[in-house]
Amino acid sequence: MTTTPSNAPYSNGPASEQIANIRETLLLMASLANRNLSLAMRALVERDEKLAASVEAEDSQLDELEISVDELVINHMATHAPVATDCRFMLVASKISSNLERIADQAVSIARRSLELNKEPLLKPLIDIPRMAQIAEGMLRDSVTALIERKPELAQEIIKRDKEVDAINKQLARELTSFMLEDPTTITRALNLTIVARCLERIADHCKNIAEEVYYLYQAIDIRHDRTPTS
Amino acid sequence: MVTTKASLMSQTQPTTMMDESIPTTQTTEVVHTPVATPSASDKAARLNAPTIIDINNVDFYYGQSKALHGINFPIKEKLVTAFIGPSGCGKSTLLRCLNRMNDLVDGTRIGAGSIKISGVDIYDPSVDVIELRKRVGMVFQKSNPFPKSIYENIVYGLRLQGINNKGRLDETVERSLRGAALWEEVRDRLHTSALGLSGGQQQRLCIARAIAVEPEIILMDEPCSALDPIATVKVEELIHQLKQDYTIVIVTHNMQQAGRCSDITAFFYMGRLIEIDATEKIFTNPTQKQTEDYISGRFG
Amino acid sequence: MTARTHPFQRKTTVASYREAGVFWALRAFTYIILGFGVIIFSTIIYKGSPAVFGSERIDGTFPFLHNDFLFTKPQTLHVFKYKGEIKQMSAADYYTFVGQSPDASTPPPANPLTASPPSPVLSTTGINSSDITDHETYSYAAGGIWPQIVGTILLVIGSMAIALVLGIFSAIYLSEYSKQGPLISAIRLAIINLAGVPSIVFGLFGVGLFVLAFGWNISLMAGWFTLAFMVLPVIITASEESLRAVPKGFREGSLALGATKWQTVYLNVLPYALPGILTSSVLGIARVAGETAPILFTAAYATSDKLPWDLNISPDRLHSGFLGYLEYPFAWLHDFAFHGVNALPYHIYVVSSKIPQNEYTERVQYGTAFVFLLVVMMIALASVLLRIRLRSRLKW
Repeated sequence: MTTTPSNAPYSNGPASEQIANIRETLLLMASLANRNLSLAMRALVERDEKLAASVEAEDSQLDELEISVDELVINHMATHAPVATDCRFMLVASKISSNLERIADQAVSIARRSLELNKEPLLKPLIDIPRMAQIAEGMLRDSVTALIERKPELAQEIIKRDKEVDAINKQLARELTSFMLEDPTTITRALNLTIVARCLERIADHCKNIAEEVYYLYQAIDIRHDRTPTS
Repeated sequence: MVTTKASLMSQTQPTTMMDESIPTTQTTEVVHTPVATPSASDKAARLNAPTIIDINNVDFYYGQSKALHGINFPIKEKLVTAFIGPSGCGKSTLLRCLNRMNDLVDGTRIGAGSIKISGVDIYDPSVDVIELRKRVGMVFQKSNPFPKSIYENIVYGLRLQGINNKGRLDETVERSLRGAALWEEVRDRLHTSALGLSGGQQQRLCIARAIAVEPEIILMDEPCSALDPIATVKVEELIHQLKQDYTIVIVTHNMQQAGRCSDITAFFYMGRLIEIDATEKIFTNPTQKQTEDYISGRFG
Repeated sequence: MTARTHPFQRKTTVASYREAGVFWALRAFTYIILGFGVIIFSTIIYKGSPAVFGSERIDGTFPFLHNDFLFTKPQTLHVFKYKGEIKQMSAADYYTFVGQSPDASTPPPANPLTASPPSPVLSTTGINSSDITDHETYSYAAGGIWPQIVGTILLVIGSMAIALVLGIFSAIYLSEYSKQGPLISAIRLAIINLAGVPSIVFGLFGVGLFVLAFGWNISLMAGWFTLAFMVLPVIITASEESLRAVPKGFREGSLALGATKWQTVYLNVLPYALPGILTSSVLGIARVAGETAPILFTAAYATSDKLPWDLNISPDRLHSGFLGYLEYPFAWLHDFAFHGVNALPYHIYVVSSKIPQNEYTERVQYGTAFVFLLVVMMIALASVLLRIRLRSRLKW
């Protein structure tokens, strides 16, 4: 899969090499972020401390990649003055990298909470949170797929899934609040779970942002903040 | 029937890249992927590449007027070095000093300093200008194919050296034209006039003609200034390929061209070298204010 | 006054009358000049073509060329009344007619003004000299102009060859090799001024230098060099222009590939300048062919009715035996080059000023002018064709 965002009839020049380089770095970041999220969730579900620690270790790598994407972007903009799709790609790449980095940060946060949670028995069987994680992971995967395969319609579809995650998050928050009201000893665990849910909600938001950027990249229409493509 | 079914199946299969490339819940081992940070290390390597042309405090005069003031910098081997600057800043003058094309202009002289190519001072009286120009080829602003056939244009330099062996000439023509990414376009009409080529093809022919004599260094004096954007891109791609084998020095008025195809950029103003650095550095964070003003189009 | 219906309404003003007046005046002048040209050329063609195309004696072969006129030597025309009937005869015909051998008579008179009709004696033909009355002779009015045609062509070819070689070489030096400075500018100015020198001055210069100082006498050689020096300024200036018109890129491109200066000039500049040089040399050809003054003292004999290659190499000038055979071509070339010729313009000058103008001499006067025009046109045409050929091969 080596399609470039560039529509230029020539593809051997330094310009497309640099763009391909940025794309590859983004893909690397996406795969690392996805893996970190998976590892964090496994750390939570399987109560595995070793995995939780590894998530934190990997985060620095993503931070470095975020910086390197920005450097590549600014170098390319300064030296090649990209226009049209290439120009949008520069803006979008920078934003996507920063969203991916934040997703990884949220994964670190989840890993830390899981360390806390592991100290005590389970409050309740984890059902809603893995579901949220599953949806969020799907969103991340699909948004990157939309980027690679130039599928703005897929990106549009991803945005809708964010609502689902939000709904689960709200419902879970209510549920956990009731736990805390009933039994103050559950407060720490309930709070940690709330935070994990919130992290996943944030991750879904970031994925939504990525999807919006992908849509903007291919359609040149900004659909952020509930602006529909038709309006 | 079978084939239709197979193709249908392959179409309906979801093609997500993530499935293959990202290890999901199965892996327990933490794999540290080595992260490449391309730009930083590359930039340093470029600035530390071996020097091929050493320009030492060169002053240059047209009659009484001083055109270059104490130019002092090295040109690195097998890299593209771009000279930029406003008109009359001396960038073309310096370029033409490198193969002594300025000798053709009456009243020019190097007042002080020296230019050394592979350690030899090219303005030393013992230097044969003809030999120098064979090693330091040049491509001009206006594409100047001779009104001969494409073939004769390429072999011109060899014929000057008295090489008339048909096999050797044929081989050189093919090699040079391939090197200039022109072979596929002209292989069927090698013996037709070079003037029938388009502007971009003519300029690539001139590049092919220059590499036919196997120089080490190719000087390009605004090679794309008379070309349309597509032809320009082709020449730039060619420059990108040529730097595998040649050291290229390119003078350009088009800053974006310097950005696109050079590794190192030198900025000249009023006959002085203002700044020289890796191209990305010049274009993102120049040290000198004059450089920044010029590249952002705020000059004067 | 009509009402103005729109802002660009045409109005009749003084200016519009003036415009019309200027236009018609310019047009009238041009057409008057054209009229003169037409009159001059049509006179020459009308009066001269019968001599060439032989309207009087069509022998039925295309293109009805009057071979006698084009391809024979000039003769004296004898006009006389024989038993009351006017007869025109060339000298040869006349002597046959009266039965006298032309060799026995005096050769054609050296000076046409003092020419007196020979007094024939009774001969075997039985013609009584008393039957011949009103006998007049006109030098050159009979026969042809072949030696003049040949002489003109030789003069043009030789002098143009000399002028082109010298001119191109000095133009190459001036524009490619010399450092541009006050001295070269002065030389260039002198050359341009030379073009304005009257041709008779060149003739005197030729006499002084080639004929007398070099001792070449009146010869083809002296004529060649005199004419060559006369057209040199034109050739040099034109060659310099043509060399300068060759794009700078050809020189730079060649030098940048490691060519020497002469390789560059020879391979990549001169071939592309040649068409231009030839174009301008057409102008030189017309001048060389047309000038009378420079050859008046240097190359032309009015009486030279020999063809340039009618040479007598007397055996005593050569060594005997094999060496003599080796020597022969050189002696022949020497005599050829140092032998006077005649030329068409000079012949026109002689026949129109030295013999009376009447119906008998008109034929040779206008005929020569007509042939002269044709020869000049043909040489120019050949040069134009050569240029077109070169130009189509070397185009940029």
